[in-house]
Amino acid sequence: MNAIEVSDLGKRYGELEAVRGVSFTVGIGEVFCLLGPNGAGKTTTTEILEGYRKRSSGEVSVLGLDPATGARELRERVGIVLQACGVQNDLTVGELLEMYGRYHHHRRRTPAELIDLVELDAKRDTRAANLSGGQRRRLDLALALVGDPDLVFLDEPTTGFDPQARRHAWLTIRTLCELGKTIFLTTHFMDEAQTLADRVAVMRSGEIIALGRPDELGGRDGRPTEIRFELPSGRSLEELPEIPALERGSDDRGAVVIRTTEPVLATARITAWALDHDVTLERFSVTQPTLEDVYLELTGESEPGEGEPGESDQLETLAR
Amino acid sequence: MTAAAPSLRRDLVLAAWQVRYEQRAFWRNRARAFFAFLMPIMFLVIFASIFGKNTISTREGLPYNDFFVPGILAYGVIATTFFNIAISTAILRDAGVLKRMQGTPLPRWAYVAGRIGSASVTTLTMTVLTLAIGRVGYGVHLRGPTLAGFAIALVLGSACFTTLGIGIVRFIKNADAAPAVINVAILPLTFISGIWFTTDNQPAWLRHIAEIFPVHALADALQYAFNPRTAGPGINGTDVRTLAIWLVVGIFLMVRFLRQPLREE
Repeated sequence: MNAIEVSDLGKRYGELEAVRGVSFTVGIGEVFCLLGPNGAGKTTTTEILEGYRKRSSGEVSVLGLDPATGARELRERVGIVLQACGVQNDLTVGELLEMYGRYHHHRRRTPAELIDLVELDAKRDTRAANLSGGQRRRLDLALALVGDPDLVFLDEPTTGFDPQARRHAWLTIRTLCELGKTIFLTTHFMDEAQTLADRVAVMRSGEIIALGRPDELGGRDGRPTEIRFELPSGRSLEELPEIPALERGSDDRGAVVIRTTEPVLATARITAWALDHDVTLERFSVTQPTLEDVYLELTGESEPGEGEPGESDQLETLAR
Repeated sequence: MTAAAPSLRRDLVLAAWQVRYEQRAFWRNRARAFFAFLMPIMFLVIFASIFGKNTISTREGLPYNDFFVPGILAYGVIATTFFNIAISTAILRDAGVLKRMQGTPLPRWAYVAGRIGSASVTTLTMTVLTLAIGRVGYGVHLRGPTLAGFAIALVLGSACFTTLGIGIVRFIKNADAAPAVINVAILPLTFISGIWFTTDNQPAWLRHIAEIFPVHALADALQYAFNPRTAGPGINGTDVRTLAIWLVVGIFLMVRFLRQPLREE
């Protein structure tokens, strides 16, 4: 059995089709990441799986249950970390963990265990209102784990974190994986998907446009590697020996750029030639296409900041 | 992996626990506890001290405090139910706490029951304190024979303003506006409903307007039960009917709110 099975899922808000024909499965113990720009339908999809929203069409099974009908039993077994979601501010960390723990009938983790897991030991008797942003997110995570869930939904868990806090959160999430939990993650950080996910689905305009392992996504493994260096003045590209390259040219700063699917051979030929001819190749680098390159190409957001913030706002409004 | 069937008894226990947590949170938030609890008590002491020697000529020389203490008790009930619930629910909604609660296995009704139960505990505390201060400090007459009328007014009034308090949240666009909306809804009514002074000298049209609303009905029902001249069990039929009608309205609005906020169309 899979932890999550989604087939041909659709969701419309009046005229707007927020999710269109989405299908995927998430295996037990897998870390699955939904990646996409704002307004792509990530949150709608996730909230349908969590049971917050009703789907318009398609089939959904989460831990063998339909979230539209089996909500209570499902909530015993899933943990949810929502984006920016408040808690009862006048209660302390310890009290909140105790209170939310009571709601779980089958099994639960003790406040002490959870506080230990998210390292909030010093804050046990601090009211939620007095926690810092990062501590609040750690409390969110602890609250999601209170019922010792089989499946954890993490909706942009590290948005607003500083780099150190993010690394820390990643470690915690890894810990969850080691405990055998299935994790459903949404993010718009490439490195987060790259680091954590077993598989990534990229959404755009309500559809999944690519799905696979982070290193294979969008045919990334077959994409050419880029070799870049600067030739000393007086040397020209034509002097170089035969190299297996798809493309050779130069960038706007005058550096030579070679794209090749055989980076090892190409690098060997170039460096051998340079040594033989006593030529210094400044700024020599070999780079694989990053997940980000692939993502930007797939989502058509090659210019950062060109996304339409209005689109997501509109979706949110419609969703109410 | 079979799930033990959730039982009603267990859910009732959860609701009882929720009352405890809600109470704890309520008293810890000083500003809210002041607004919803201490302010009516403060008004009681101020008004009863200033006007305590007066009698009301339009009501056969009724001592002012025998009229004012049940009136301010009505205000206190409204504060601990309507003010308290409407404002805190709007805050919880805006902060996403209601959404978070929906993601837990706690049934929604048990959560709502816990919140209502907590408000009822606060209301009861307020009632006991108001009566004690009224009796000890201002010699208000507590009467055995009209206990039934008093209890009915108190229970019906609390239920009415509790449900209305939850129901009105739908009309509060954001939590910042909550105190303003609540005060606009209630404060003018208190002046024409005989909470602070009698309505006997008010023009008839203003009295008629006041009589439509539950603020007047609750204050009048309590005042009726407290009046030493009231004979019988102290049940004022007109007031009870008005409160009952508003309770139905309150339940309707409450159910609409509870169904509405997290469901999208």
